[in-house]
Amino acid sequence: MKKLGSILFCGLISWLGFSQGNDGEYVKKVLEAPEVELLYSYYGQDGNNAAVTGGEGTEKLTDMTPTIIVSIPIEEDNILTLDAGISAYTSASSSNINPFDGNKTASPWAASSGASRSDVLTYFHPTFTHSSKDRNNIYSGNIAVSAEYDYFSLGFGGGYTHLMNEKNTELGISGQVYLDTYNPQYPIELRDGFFDNRITGNGTYSPLFHEFDKLNRNSYSVSLNVSQIITKRFQASLSLDLIFQEGLLSTPHQRVYLQDRNDFFIEGFQLADNVEKLPSNRFKVPIGGRISYYLNELIGLRGYFRYYYDDWGVMAYTGSLEIPVKISDKFTVYPMYRYYTQTASDYFYPKEAALSTYEYYTSDYDLSAFDSNQYGLGVTYKDIFTQGKVWKFGLKSISFRCNQYERTTGLSASIFELGAKFIMD
Amino acid sequence: MQHFILLIIGILSLSSCVAVKEYDKVYLNDEEMDLATKSLERFETNFHVYREAAAGANGGKTGGGCGCN
Repeated sequence: MKKLGSILFCGLISWLGFSQGNDGEYVKKVLEAPEVELLYSYYGQDGNNAAVTGGEGTEKLTDMTPTIIVSIPIEEDNILTLDAGISAYTSASSSNINPFDGNKTASPWAASSGASRSDVLTYFHPTFTHSSKDRNNIYSGNIAVSAEYDYFSLGFGGGYTHLMNEKNTELGISGQVYLDTYNPQYPIELRDGFFDNRITGNGTYSPLFHEFDKLNRNSYSVSLNVSQIITKRFQASLSLDLIFQEGLLSTPHQRVYLQDRNDFFIEGFQLADNVEKLPSNRFKVPIGGRISYYLNELIGLRGYFRYYYDDWGVMAYTGSLEIPVKISDKFTVYPMYRYYTQTASDYFYPKEAALSTYEYYTSDYDLSAFDSNQYGLGVTYKDIFTQGKVWKFGLKSISFRCNQYERTTGLSASIFELGAKFIMD
Repeated sequence: MQHFILLIIGILSLSSCVAVKEYDKVYLNDEEMDLATKSLERFETNFHVYREAAAGANGGKTGGGCGCN
């Protein structure tokens, strides 16, 4: 059965990939042959400001994400892209949603061995693209589905791109909607029926907590893009996104410790006064620009900058530079650097700084003021003759990137990415 | 917003200077010089979306998914 399925799949993409125009006349396809891209990333981070434990505690996390992207030409003008992957992570801070279910002493600085320690996110993202005969108009539509234990996301979107001036100028507009739903996993001590006779502190433990009524989070975005070829070696683009989010924007398992509430503990773990409370809508405006400059036969420059503003009080700037250096016909290495800075959200407070009378508060350091620096190196191997073969596919390229990320809050992260692209013979 | 509109006008006005012909786009068509983000960069973009407040205008996701770990 599996063999029959393989033959049918292979036959289908062969037929789709090599079909001719209906009138028998050869038309150059928008994609000549089916392509398969295999991607893999490993991400690890550590820090001392876990949001699950109210801004103090281990942020240790590892994540592995294998992904496959299959691009299939359909007749001359269309491409169907199927993008699917899984993201498997283990998180010390998430494990402390219930810090009392392991066999260690409960502490925000140690991972619990409970069920929330790990999770898997799976996603599927098909996109259909149609190009006009003159290739000056491109239409696309997509669906995006992702699911993990406490979260489900359904998205859809579309876009239109117009090329003009001998394809030197490109104007694009696209829209995307995500309809997400939480299955909230509140901190264990805030759940109905929680009892533990080891609680210590002055008085009786009585948190402010109430469960969230609405569990949906909707995101709507519109993107405008313009790109322009300026010389034979220089091109630039500019993007404006307008993003609006509404619904449950708080994360239900992120604790907050308030200044004007007594402290209670079980072993070394402080019990929550509440979970974070954030407004039910957010408007974001990022503006980004890219440049690509071919300095000479050996060296190029790829630059990116972004200005960001939102109505939660965050303003941010991003700048990055990548320098591709061709060390041979087949190998390119590219050192890269990225700088990022943001102001704090109006609702961010460190541990025990917020008062219970405040309408909104969070101790999530991702919303604090910080700068970050990222350094990295990438290598690409390219074989235009696709001499390396795997089954019916020729190897077109292999890429590897590694980056080290340092945040002024103390968070440190490393990411390794590996990708291989194959073209069907 | 005014600055953005001015930038767009500035970029579009450059198009009147010269139109680079298809046969002259050998450098511009080099994959390494592509303006769009490379598919491999998606993982970096993802973790930036999770670990930083700013998102968007980089070809990455602007919503969908929890990103709460």
